[in-house]
Amino acid sequence: MLDRTREPRRRFLKTAGALALTGMVPTIVRGEEAPLQLGVLTPLTGAGGFDGPRMAKAMQAVIDEVNAAGGLLKRKVVLVIEDDQTNPEAAVRAARKLMDVTKVPAIMGTWASAVTSAVAPLCWESRTFLTTVSGADSITKLPHQGYLIRTQPNNYLQAGKHAEFIAAMGVKRCFMMSIQAPFAEPTQTRATEVLKQKGSQMVGALIYDKDKTTYRSEVDEALRTNPDLIYLNGYAPDVTILLRDLYRAGYPGARFAQSYAVTTKVLESLPNEVTEGVITVQPSADVSSPAYELARKRLGIAEPDSYETQATDWASLVSLAIAKANVATGTGIRDNVRKICQGNGTKVYSAIEGLKLLAQGKEINYEGASGPCDFTDIGDIIDCKFRYNKVVAGKFVLIKVA
Amino acid sequence: MPSLGDVGQLAVNGVMAGTILAVPAIGLTAIYAVLRFPNFALASHATIGAFAGYVANARLGLTLVPSVLIAFFVAGVVGVATDEAVLKRFRPAGYITTAIASIALTIALENIVRFSFGNELRGYDLPIQRDWRLGVIRIGPQQVQNLAIAAVTMVALFAFLAFTRTGKAMRAVADNPMLASIKGINADAIGRIVSFLGMGLAGLGGMLIGLDTTIDPLTGFRSILSVFAAAVVGGLGSIPGAVVGALTVGVGEELCLLFLSPDYRSAVGFVAILLVLTLRPRGILGQRAY
Repeated sequence: MLDRTREPRRRFLKTAGALALTGMVPTIVRGEEAPLQLGVLTPLTGAGGFDGPRMAKAMQAVIDEVNAAGGLLKRKVVLVIEDDQTNPEAAVRAARKLMDVTKVPAIMGTWASAVTSAVAPLCWESRTFLTTVSGADSITKLPHQGYLIRTQPNNYLQAGKHAEFIAAMGVKRCFMMSIQAPFAEPTQTRATEVLKQKGSQMVGALIYDKDKTTYRSEVDEALRTNPDLIYLNGYAPDVTILLRDLYRAGYPGARFAQSYAVTTKVLESLPNEVTEGVITVQPSADVSSPAYELARKRLGIAEPDSYETQATDWASLVSLAIAKANVATGTGIRDNVRKICQGNGTKVYSAIEGLKLLAQGKEINYEGASGPCDFTDIGDIIDCKFRYNKVVAGKFVLIKVA
Repeated sequence: MPSLGDVGQLAVNGVMAGTILAVPAIGLTAIYAVLRFPNFALASHATIGAFAGYVANARLGLTLVPSVLIAFFVAGVVGVATDEAVLKRFRPAGYITTAIASIALTIALENIVRFSFGNELRGYDLPIQRDWRLGVIRIGPQQVQNLAIAAVTMVALFAFLAFTRTGKAMRAVADNPMLASIKGINADAIGRIVSFLGMGLAGLGGMLIGLDTTIDPLTGFRSILSVFAAAVVGGLGSIPGAVVGALTVGVGEELCLLFLSPDYRSAVGFVAILLVLTLRPRGILGQRAY
């Protein structure tokens, strides 16, 4: 009786032992090294749904090049793409999945400031590196211990430059309508300051609730101050409604908005007379940089915009930092990212160029398609250019890049 | 100190917003009255209506009124189909299960719209007109048009419920399903009619919202909370209540701007729910349909 049960048990132990041993053989010997997974968390839906998919595509293009050149740390790189839905709650769930299930060393791509503010604490707690385009000043002031960089100029830098431009247009009375978001107050404060210094004036400001079907009363409040220019500091769905309501109210003055709020799709969705003359601003890609030229070819787009170039730079910076660290961890990326993008190393303009030099043991300085990619201690970029467009007959016409 | 003109303007804006909110709120409350569950799939049906109207208007070149009718019809048909195929099976498991299923359904439908049309914003092919000025009050011609469409729809619905045999049967089922079935009223058929009407109204409401703004797959989802607030404030299950609730929420949200910053506007709808449910748990006009 005993013997009969012992035999299968032995056979089981032998099989289990053999299986365990095969499992213990390093995967490299078996020639099937697991791919290196990097997280992408962009808005594929919601207010950021226009930029998110393009950013993901730009990152994928860089990673395809890296893979074609042999991958990272001899492993193929795979992007695991999640949708943050431009919604902090959905973003937190997606980020948790990337960190806890996929165990990525880096998450690239958060867009809305509210989303980044929600995801960033999870990242630094789990030592995951985060790259973002969100502009709210508060983001880099979080205690992120270096696990965060942003390639987008912060609000302070942006608001200051915008106000200088507005004052230079000869505007004397500016009104600001902002969506309820972390960037609303700081942008208002800084723009008010700079307008005053330049001899102009912020005659009023209001913060409106998102997801409303009409902003007639808000428009009335703005028009009571007789502004020459209204700065529409929101996202596309609400700015579209504001533009309609301003037109209906017969407002004759200038309108100024971020380029993500007045996109080509917004122009298509509104009659030309409603959008005529709207001025848009965006942090500009460094159009004179060789990295920009490479991004153009890689993406097959005549003029990659700021978001596509920033996404290009994240995928490059993260790849180079992993190669420099020789380990794919968030901490490795954090400790090495500034060693590959600033300093006296050889200037490189793409990830594969940098990887080649790093493999030869050389020092590099990655210069990006979005700008020089030099970061302060808290993860902000030091300088960047801005592109100003004007809407003429339903099309964007360049005013200047400065 | 706000002037009388400001108060008047805010009240006018509130009535406009409230009337448009009333159309889908009636749909929600009618479905609740007959089928006894809050159907959150209303959000995606509003979106479907908005897109059906968009296809009719921007792609097929139809004018406003036929487009609005198509929005109503398509959303209504989808409403009946999804109710038959999905929600009906959940109803025996209780209203909470069915309500949760309706949330899942709305996400699925919203994504079908996203898959078919993409994420970008779209606008109807209608000119935008400047507002009329009546003294100090500013009124938009399009909003008056929307108001008229909403008002005609509501009058037609009230007439249907008051004077037609089917309308009376619907009220009977809402009032007392047991008694109605004893009288030989087919509750299943009435359920289908109410799904058609309710979701049709959601679709029409979605298009009215879209006429004032732009549409994208989240159009319905963005307004569902206000619609729900309107129906609850008015008394879930009461159709005149939905109208009163929508006007209360609409005017309340606007008038609060006299002493609150605009970013608290949404909170007003929910404060209204709290107040009404605390003081009168059945909502302003109780729970009786019609």
